[in-house]
Amino acid sequence: MQQEFKVINITKDEIIPVAERMKNDGRMLLMIHAYRNTEDQPVVSYEYGVGSMIEAYEVTGETTLPSLSSVYDAAAGWPEWEINELLGFTFTGLNISHRLFLPEDLSNGKGQILVTPLKELREEAFKDYEKAKTLVNTLDRDEDTGKEETK
Amino acid sequence: MSYTIPIGPYHPALEEPVHANLITEGEMIKDAEVYIGYNHRGIEKLCTERNYIQTLVLVERVCGICSHSHAMNYALACESIAGMEVPKRGAYIRIIMAELERLHSHFLWFGIACHIIGHDSLFMHIWDKREVIMDILEEISGNRINYGMVTIGGSRRDIDDDTRRSVLEKLDILEKETDKLKDIIVNDRTVAMRTKGVGILTREDAIRLGAVGPQARASNFDIDVRRDMPYSCYEDFDFNIPVVDSCDVFARVVVRVLEVYESIKIIRQALENLPEGPINLGVKIPKIPAGECTHLIEAPRGQLVYHVVSDGGKTNHRVSIHVPTFRNAPTVPVMLRNNSIADAGLIIACIDPCFSCLDR
Repeated sequence: MQQEFKVINITKDEIIPVAERMKNDGRMLLMIHAYRNTEDQPVVSYEYGVGSMIEAYEVTGETTLPSLSSVYDAAAGWPEWEINELLGFTFTGLNISHRLFLPEDLSNGKGQILVTPLKELREEAFKDYEKAKTLVNTLDRDEDTGKEETK
Repeated sequence: MSYTIPIGPYHPALEEPVHANLITEGEMIKDAEVYIGYNHRGIEKLCTERNYIQTLVLVERVCGICSHSHAMNYALACESIAGMEVPKRGAYIRIIMAELERLHSHFLWFGIACHIIGHDSLFMHIWDKREVIMDILEEISGNRINYGMVTIGGSRRDIDDDTRRSVLEKLDILEKETDKLKDIIVNDRTVAMRTKGVGILTREDAIRLGAVGPQARASNFDIDVRRDMPYSCYEDFDFNIPVVDSCDVFARVVVRVLEVYESIKIIRQALENLPEGPINLGVKIPKIPAGECTHLIEAPRGQLVYHVVSDGGKTNHRVSIHVPTFRNAPTVPVMLRNNSIADAGLIIACIDPCFSCLDR
């Protein structure tokens, strides 16, 4: 048996009424997915479990959407939070108190090894290398002069 | 006095990096914040640069514990887009692997939970019994983890008659050993004192926050994808979904113990009734037409969601992976509230978190 999957296209204004109807029927919000389609249009897909079927309500071409966190709480809040951080879509009404992926003190990702361009990392490493080389040279010199003095 | 106590990203009670800030009032936790993302490897992006078979290998490496679930779910999503029908023998072998994976994941969790509460002798006994399952997995697939048993259109390896008999014998041994362990886990005073009444998550909160898997079932919220949205051949098997209503860490232990018996039951039925026929469709490099699919399966920790979008080309257009820990993580701050700092490690661990999965 295969799970059935059905896509239903809706507009931005229908997001909240659909969610409220699903919530009243006791349906689970399975996940909110977002991506840019082949025409580079933003697509946000709200997936609900309806019986043994998955119904996906898709909104195309919108990057500012109403948040479902008032209806589905954290079950909608966390996926929206993730989409906001990773794809930059805005969800009005979503309470974002801090970053979800990596804390604030990484200064918005700046300086973090994963998000720093390779060129900058190389330059940084090269600077450290130059600094270390000068330090080693000075130490060597000091050591040599020290040895001479004891002699 | 109010303090903020950081736990992690690296901490002895955590198996993987995660960062939690506990806002405490004396010994009691009043609030908590969770930060994730320390294990991010960019797997979703890498998926868009690989063909379907390469992606299958890649997604198997999202997690070391539930590797088969990832590969199976990805394959099921692709097959659903392409309208392929998997041969029954192949589907049965996938289910056998999935349930073996659930067994070893639950035993691993029991061990870790016992280690955290300070019952190290029980931890060693449990992990000793887990070796029986690891041996079975190795016997069937050749690997202890990352089994490589799934391909698009079926399974990659067959189970011959000798292996089938040997696995059935080992399952008998495992069931007897589980009986002994169950008595200790359920009746032991140390386990009871550390887990009963700790980390309460009420049914209302579980539904509101979208808890899934054993975490939800321990809060009296009866959901299981295997029964509610059957996939593969789960409708062929007779099994129960254990649900417990005490909503604490002890309930989560009990749910997982009971699930072990149900998984053994499913594997036994699958091995005894293994249908004859081909194990896969024999497709080497599958052609997936343009389309999209969201597929759900019940991984050891709960619902695993894959969203695959294909543009008809050689590579995926988009693969989105959401693991059970992503659904269960919002419940952690709620469970931590009004518990002591000493229980924080156990409460974070009780959702059976997998941060590698979570961060992809």
